[in-house]
Amino acid sequence: MIRDINPIIAFLVLGCLAIIPIWITGLTAPLIMCAVFVAISLLAGVGRQFIPGYLKLFLAVGFILFILRAAFEPGSHVLFTLGPLTPTLEGAIGGARFALVVMVLCGALTLFAALMPAKYLMLALEEHGLTPRATYVLLSSLQAITDLGRNVRVVMDAQKSRGIETEGSIFTRSKAFFPIIAPAFLTAMTQTEERAVALDARAFNSKTAHTRLAFFRRPRLWEYVLLAIAFAGVVLAIVGAALSWL
Amino acid sequence: MSFDNAIQGYGRLTIFMIPIGIAINFVGGQFALLLKLPVYLDSIGTILVGATCGGIPGAIVGAISNVLNSITSPPTMAFGILSIMFGLLAGWLAKKGVFLSLTKTLLSAIPFALIGGVLGAILTIWIFGGLAVGGGALVVGALTAAGFDINTANFLAQVPMDILDKVPTVLVVYAILKGMPKRIFAKLPLGYIYLGKRPGAAA
Repeated sequence: MIRDINPIIAFLVLGCLAIIPIWITGLTAPLIMCAVFVAISLLAGVGRQFIPGYLKLFLAVGFILFILRAAFEPGSHVLFTLGPLTPTLEGAIGGARFALVVMVLCGALTLFAALMPAKYLMLALEEHGLTPRATYVLLSSLQAITDLGRNVRVVMDAQKSRGIETEGSIFTRSKAFFPIIAPAFLTAMTQTEERAVALDARAFNSKTAHTRLAFFRRPRLWEYVLLAIAFAGVVLAIVGAALSWL
Repeated sequence: MSFDNAIQGYGRLTIFMIPIGIAINFVGGQFALLLKLPVYLDSIGTILVGATCGGIPGAIVGAISNVLNSITSPPTMAFGILSIMFGLLAGWLAKKGVFLSLTKTLLSAIPFALIGGVLGAILTIWIFGGLAVGGGALVVGALTAAGFDINTANFLAQVPMDILDKVPTVLVVYAILKGMPKRIFAKLPLGYIYLGKRPGAAA
């Protein structure tokens, strides 16, 4: 059911959820929000795609953000001294909060990517008047990344078999860069010509309204209710923060 | 529509070059990681499209690449303005004929690195208080621990790192521009430069 939500409403709801913890001080709010994202992914049946990636982000981005802040931010309560490093309690708490808030924003984005196939989002945007040329650029970029990545691997294998080394010292590895990357990118650029001809033949540049095979149903009432609740949450958080400052 | 207006007058091939530029940015960055090179190499496509199609298409490539990168690493979003400026600068330099000679191309790494390094450092200081993510942050941290204040440390770390990044980037751009068939240049908005013609000779 969650995956049937209109992509634009889903985007707005997740966006609201993601920014709520910014106005609530302390570590609990962002932690709860991370748990909420995990719960949503499980309910929607995309936990398998979302959770491992999210954990990896926690380790790769969140943990580093935390360590850096904790290690280098000045403060008065020094926890311990390790060579030139003096992590402080203030740094650790500030770092944890900053890392968690960033992780909430990361979570909303990755969860949305896991929930909504890009083509649904593009279709929804087209219904709201975005030109098909813009949605083409976005969708075909995603496709081109996969295609070009595959081509680079092919060229890499080919060049390896001709004796180019891709492992070893940093100098050896950087020498491998040009002969692999240049041919792959060059082919990709020259292929655009064929693509242009192919799409021209399919009336891509025609000015009349495009027809399509798939349509969205109108968003249900509960989807709007959900959006209203999420929006109210943001307003509450901002008002709460403003009151506590007064 | 604004998107249509932005790319109007850039010819038919430009719209097909933008996704390729984005893919080149992405794959270039991934490949640098794969070879464990200490550089990003994630703006080749931006500069390439800027140099062949013009500043605005280059900026579009930079902006979309940035949004796509933010999906896996949201702190990247803060540096979107850099990618946009790389695209615009590439278009402007191309019109000056910079990418026609190897020496000038190599020298063009300096303005790119200044944008990336100086503006990047300023953004890091403003938005992340001096400590963002990535390899650069470790260097910055080490420099602060060695006694530099955080602002100096950011500039000291980022400008040389960006020169190291932009020199191979512009070299790849130059190599690809040299290798592109003339037939394609004839259809690209800035292709006339590489065919040695005056503006408007090819459209």
